[in-house]
Amino acid sequence: MQLATLAVKKAVSMGATEAEAYVQKARTIRGEFSEAIENFRTVESIGMNLRVALGKKTAMYSTSILDEGEISKAAAKAVKIAKVAPEDPHWKHMNKKFGKASAEGYYDSALENLDYQEVVETLVSAINRMKSYDARVRPTRGFVTTYVSNVSIANSYNDSTERRETGIGAWMRTKAEDNGMKGTGTEHQQARFWKEINFDDLAVKAAEKAVKFLKAKPISSGKMSVIIRNQIFANILGVILSGPINADWVQKGRSPLSNKLGNQIASENINIVDDGIMHGGWRTKPFDDEGYPTQRTLVIEKGILKNYLYNMYTALKDNVKSTGNAQRPYYWMTPEPQPNNLIMKPGEASPEDIIHDTKTGIYIEDTIGEWLSNPVSGNLNATVTHGYLVKNGELAEPIKGVIISGNFYELLQKGIETIGNDLRNSMHNYAPTVKLAPLTIAGK
Amino acid sequence: MEKQEEERKTLQLEKILDKAVGLGASYADIRYQDYDFELITVENKALKSYSSRRLSGVGIRVAIKGAIGFASTSDLRRSSLERTLGNAVKAAKSIKSEKKPFSATKINETNVKLPIQTNPIDVSPEKKVSITLEANKAAWISDEIKSAITNLGLSSDARLFISSEGANVRVETSLVGLQHQSVAKVNGVMERVPYSESMCAGFEFIQSKDWNSFTADISDLAIEAARSKTPPPGTYPVVVDPEILGVVLHEAFGHASEGDLVFTGESVLHNKLGVQLASESVTIVDEGMIEGGYFYPFDDEGTKKERTVILENGFLKRYIHDRHSALQFLVDSTGNGRAQDFESMPIVRQTNTYLQPRDHKLEELIEDIDFGIYVREKGWTGGQVEPGMGTFTFNVGPSKIIRNGEVAETVREVVIGGSILETLKTVDAVGKDLKIVTNVFGGCGKGGQRASVGIGGPHVRVRKMTVGGR
Repeated sequence: MQLATLAVKKAVSMGATEAEAYVQKARTIRGEFSEAIENFRTVESIGMNLRVALGKKTAMYSTSILDEGEISKAAAKAVKIAKVAPEDPHWKHMNKKFGKASAEGYYDSALENLDYQEVVETLVSAINRMKSYDARVRPTRGFVTTYVSNVSIANSYNDSTERRETGIGAWMRTKAEDNGMKGTGTEHQQARFWKEINFDDLAVKAAEKAVKFLKAKPISSGKMSVIIRNQIFANILGVILSGPINADWVQKGRSPLSNKLGNQIASENINIVDDGIMHGGWRTKPFDDEGYPTQRTLVIEKGILKNYLYNMYTALKDNVKSTGNAQRPYYWMTPEPQPNNLIMKPGEASPEDIIHDTKTGIYIEDTIGEWLSNPVSGNLNATVTHGYLVKNGELAEPIKGVIISGNFYELLQKGIETIGNDLRNSMHNYAPTVKLAPLTIAGK
Repeated sequence: MEKQEEERKTLQLEKILDKAVGLGASYADIRYQDYDFELITVENKALKSYSSRRLSGVGIRVAIKGAIGFASTSDLRRSSLERTLGNAVKAAKSIKSEKKPFSATKINETNVKLPIQTNPIDVSPEKKVSITLEANKAAWISDEIKSAITNLGLSSDARLFISSEGANVRVETSLVGLQHQSVAKVNGVMERVPYSESMCAGFEFIQSKDWNSFTADISDLAIEAARSKTPPPGTYPVVVDPEILGVVLHEAFGHASEGDLVFTGESVLHNKLGVQLASESVTIVDEGMIEGGYFYPFDDEGTKKERTVILENGFLKRYIHDRHSALQFLVDSTGNGRAQDFESMPIVRQTNTYLQPRDHKLEELIEDIDFGIYVREKGWTGGQVEPGMGTFTFNVGPSKIIRNGEVAETVREVVIGGSILETLKTVDAVGKDLKIVTNVFGGCGKGGQRASVGIGGPHVRVRKMTVGGR
């Protein structure tokens, strides 16, 4: 905290009318493995971002060297850049007063104090699970990453605040080989608590998938009902909606959801919220990266677009309150509006029921390239690496290598036929399994 | 950068190496890095942000009884360096291994600098803002343009590698470029076209180009795309632009040739050495220094990066390696041990990967296609690969239909996909042009690390490519 306060003081003494310093100290431990543990590493990093304003001119300078001399240089450089920057007529002020929402479940002391030995034992057990599942399977790559991060923010309005959080991500991939046929299986999970990750379960699922997909093949081009597994739909939701509901995109004319507040943009069964305070969410925290309290914001309620997501700058421009969505993916980046935890509310049907009620279609287990879908046009596309044909309510032959395409905004309005009850996250995006109206499939 | 040299001397990194050996390390190396990055963003004719960043720190890698441990810190005080060494030693000791960790390599002592005229970080902020603002303003060519973002990216990177074996390799480079995206709306249809151009050079590269016509051309294409249809889905013959060829090869083939992925069996090229995978006209190379590519004379293990022929006349010749994967294959490192920065450990990465040109003109590639697609690079947004099965998917730029041997109308939202080993077999004609590009705004991702790479090749014809559409 002293470093942040010092940087703010230096900037003000050099002529800044406003200053905000964001200091992050983090420790990451990462272990990588294939058929055995390959390596471990510990990364201790520290970095500061200093944002200054001279009236309506702003600039930022970041550094990883945090001694008094470098902090003075950082302040001088930020002020120097701000002096020559053109005025931003929309600039009003930074967040003046910090606050905290009552968020819970974003820090795990067990994770912070985790011993290498426990990680080693857990990984060895997972590796053995994959190997013993089937003689044709071997673990080809995997990692576990844990982090603890301490953020402190100080500003020239004499306020300061601090938060400490933890997280863990696990990822593993297996490969099965049999008579020249190859199948792979990948599983991943991200959580705030060490105990939340079930390594053995991920290992068994990854191995099982590789064996099942040994005989996967493309199918012919056509149009078919599509069931998308929860984590994959969560990715798609994040890719398509995060930009268009960002107030900055809306204000800059880049969002297809501009001027649509209060409009029915989706069918009545669609409810989407951004929840920064849910227990244990991947991006749950008491305040955002500008020190503004986080909250639960309705984005789409019964199909009606309710709110955009704001940071301080975009909120002041629209004359509304910030929604606590300022995010700095890394300390040196500008705090831009981004979802905290973006959640599509689950429905009633179990994934088994959804499959059971489908006469013909495909069930998508995993895709690649879904993140390349286009949020501006709403064009959704993904290459299916792991899928099944659905025949008479049951999963049939495994398929791979086909491309699905559709328009996400059209799907929202009339194409999401069934919403599952199995909410799951992929990073900070949360969704259940869904069944979509027939989509175009490009195959052989 | 003399300042950096001074700083390094006061750090007395050699003493940390000695200490590592004293703690039982059979091998230790230290990487010290000083990195500057500036990003200037102009959106809709106004400066949105000017951010400047300096990153400096030390990464320490040790091998103890064959196990590898690594730790890094950006706190350069003596006590912090010693704690970091302690963390690396502790990490190595927690793993049980009796293997040798690294292959032998030539020990280099050298200091290489990319020749540049003007260090981009030293140019006045006014000048940089003005170039970016003007380029953004030039993109507003009609009322159909709804949004325009321009980024100017400038970086300067100095890396020092020293090891307990006596290596001392210092490399200094600089990468600069401009990126632009225009969003157009025509009859209710919105489309975006992003594109960028970068070069390993000083600020002189930025000053040598006409960025105003660069952004105006992107706007033209965005409007044209918003007016076009999507292609009919199916499998077609295609002709691909060099950047698309380069990125597909890099992602779907290059990664599969990385020794670590081959060793674990994750790669689709596992057990394929000596096998013919493509027609005789296909030769794929990874090379550290080439016109247009990323400047990479030595890797992050101090090994010289030379020209590595991976696929020669269709046959798989060799994999690419760092010192760890080279040992597993009992070969020499090919100089492909790369780390994103001092906080990351070197892993097997490509440098500049490209397909070698042959003898066809572009028109010859197109003229005998009855119906197909000319897959264009301007506006491509990225791709992904599943390495175990070689499945790839890429979002390419607004492209052209080929009808009766001639280039016809534009199509948008084009996605290409396939399985790399099957696709390579259907490459049946290779052009004689060669274009290699690098990028200051992005890079290749692997194992949570990004690295600047070069990609490219000539135009090629592929007989069978799956094309998504609606």
